[in-house]
Amino acid sequence: MKPCYLGIDIGSISTKGVILDENNEIIRSLYIWTEGNPIEAVRNLLDGLKNDLPDCYEIKGIGTTGSARKLIGLMVDANIVKNEITAHAIGTLSIYPDVRTILEIGGQDSKIILLENGIITDYSMNTLCAAGTGSFLSSQAKRLGIPIEEFGSMALESKNPVKIAARCTVFAESDLIHKAQLGYEKKDIVAGLCKSIVLNYLNNVGKGKKIKGPIVFQGGVSKNKGVLKYFEEILGEKVIVDPNSHLMGAIGIAILAHNNADGKTYDLNIKNITFETKGMECNRCSNHCELLKIYKDQKLVDSWGSKCGKF
Amino acid sequence: MDKIRIGIPRSIHYYYYGDLWRCFFEKLGLDVIISPKTNREIMERGMQVANDEMCLSMKNFLGHISYLQDKCDYIIIPRIDNYGVQNQTCTNFLAIYDIVKNMFPSSILSYNIDVAHHETEEKGFMEMGKQLGFTKKETQQAYLNAKASVQNKKQSLIQQNLKKLNSSKEKVLLVGHPYNVYDEYIGRPIISFLEKLNVEVIYSDLFYSSITGKMSKQLSSELYWKFNKESIGAIPVVKDQIDGIIFLSTFPCGPDSLVNELVMRKIELPYLNLILDDVDGMAGFETRLESFVDIIQERKRKYA
Repeated sequence: MKPCYLGIDIGSISTKGVILDENNEIIRSLYIWTEGNPIEAVRNLLDGLKNDLPDCYEIKGIGTTGSARKLIGLMVDANIVKNEITAHAIGTLSIYPDVRTILEIGGQDSKIILLENGIITDYSMNTLCAAGTGSFLSSQAKRLGIPIEEFGSMALESKNPVKIAARCTVFAESDLIHKAQLGYEKKDIVAGLCKSIVLNYLNNVGKGKKIKGPIVFQGGVSKNKGVLKYFEEILGEKVIVDPNSHLMGAIGIAILAHNNADGKTYDLNIKNITFETKGMECNRCSNHCELLKIYKDQKLVDSWGSKCGKF
Repeated sequence: MDKIRIGIPRSIHYYYYGDLWRCFFEKLGLDVIISPKTNREIMERGMQVANDEMCLSMKNFLGHISYLQDKCDYIIIPRIDNYGVQNQTCTNFLAIYDIVKNMFPSSILSYNIDVAHHETEEKGFMEMGKQLGFTKKETQQAYLNAKASVQNKKQSLIQQNLKKLNSSKEKVLLVGHPYNVYDEYIGRPIISFLEKLNVEVIYSDLFYSSITGKMSKQLSSELYWKFNKESIGAIPVVKDQIDGIIFLSTFPCGPDSLVNELVMRKIELPYLNLILDDVDGMAGFETRLESFVDIIQERKRKYA
């Protein structure tokens, strides 16, 4: 049997899974929608990966990253649980060892990571506001009646992107409705939106950071050609988008799972394991913490959210 | 006659004057009631009465007032404008007395600090003593005694803080207002999480302010907020001894939004900017803190 390592990146919008071999080459990968249910998404993800995996491989490590990393880490018994910044940097470094800047725009978060000689020297993430992230783009695409997949290519057709307030999603949205009512062409509005994403990113997340090449752009929004075009135009530099740009977090965490492997073998068959969460408000003190209790096979394995740490 | 009960809200001024007030009133033989550590109930009471443009810390303060309003005879709220020319406080420090007076029926014990116009702390305390019916001599005695016992405590806290600079752990300077940093609901969860990550937290307010006030000039000579100057002034003092800086502020703090932004552009160390609002979920903060600590560990390993 040959060893392989699974990396799972559970984001707010999509869930990504990657299986790497001994040389950190991708054997299998899968990208599915989280649809607000990370547990179900991971069940489906593992199902898909398992059916696809040649019999000669056995899983020797599992890593989880992304916003549901802790929950899923418990569920699959991961040997490493790491934040997405580290995971993204390691994934990207495995393909572009001399990368200096990573631009990342995901569904809910956007971040910039600066590296030097292969280590992270600085990073910044959006504040808790989701302005200028993927979820904004997709809700606007819906409003305009354009499939998100065609959004980018439509933006490329425009020669005169309309100006859209980039500071705040709420203002951007009213600006957008206003421009549409004035009669601007759809493609110009779409292009304006893509440009506003870039401006918002550079003014907020990228503020004060020295962006140096090579620059790699990733996260779900990197698939949008319009956004890519404006990044290159505004930064005046080539921006690389890897064909696997959406998988970088999963690749990174799989590599970390590989480095942390402890000889244990993992089973991807978790269909018959029950995994439940129960939310409750604790009334023992005036904090009224929202507790989340995690049950695996009816057994309480963890509980989160208490400020006092009693639970 | 029952003893007069003085209520001290455990918020904003408490973190500068709490000990001094308590000592002073106790020396005068009065009862002191300090509101409990912030919990969700207090915070929610504050949110309910606050105006939506107030910062989280102000909302919290009003929650403490709401808690105290029917438990004491007086609530102490000073009106602070400045500690001298170019040493102003945030406008809320000046306004908060009037805000509370307009919102709550409670009796307020107050005094002014406006050093530029010769209204000093001592004068303020003398004023309070008079309001409470004590003689000049009694008041002054209590003030001087209280002052002396508080000074020792502050000294030893500063020494402890400076001692942490010799620690072998990763060291992070936490730059923020003490009423945010030490608040049970605002800063405490962040500090606990950092301690869980095995980070040594150095507090920007526990330095000698005569030094940090001057050192802030290395970052900007034009600032006029006393507390901000002192907290950023800690950066040039320790910059070669720490691994990173975390800025902690509450939304939408005016002075912080200006000063922290300005400083972030001038420092070479890794930094993290945390702006707290009414968010209960710690997940977003944990991601940011965890990756920040990852970075400073990596850097330390690489450049050791």
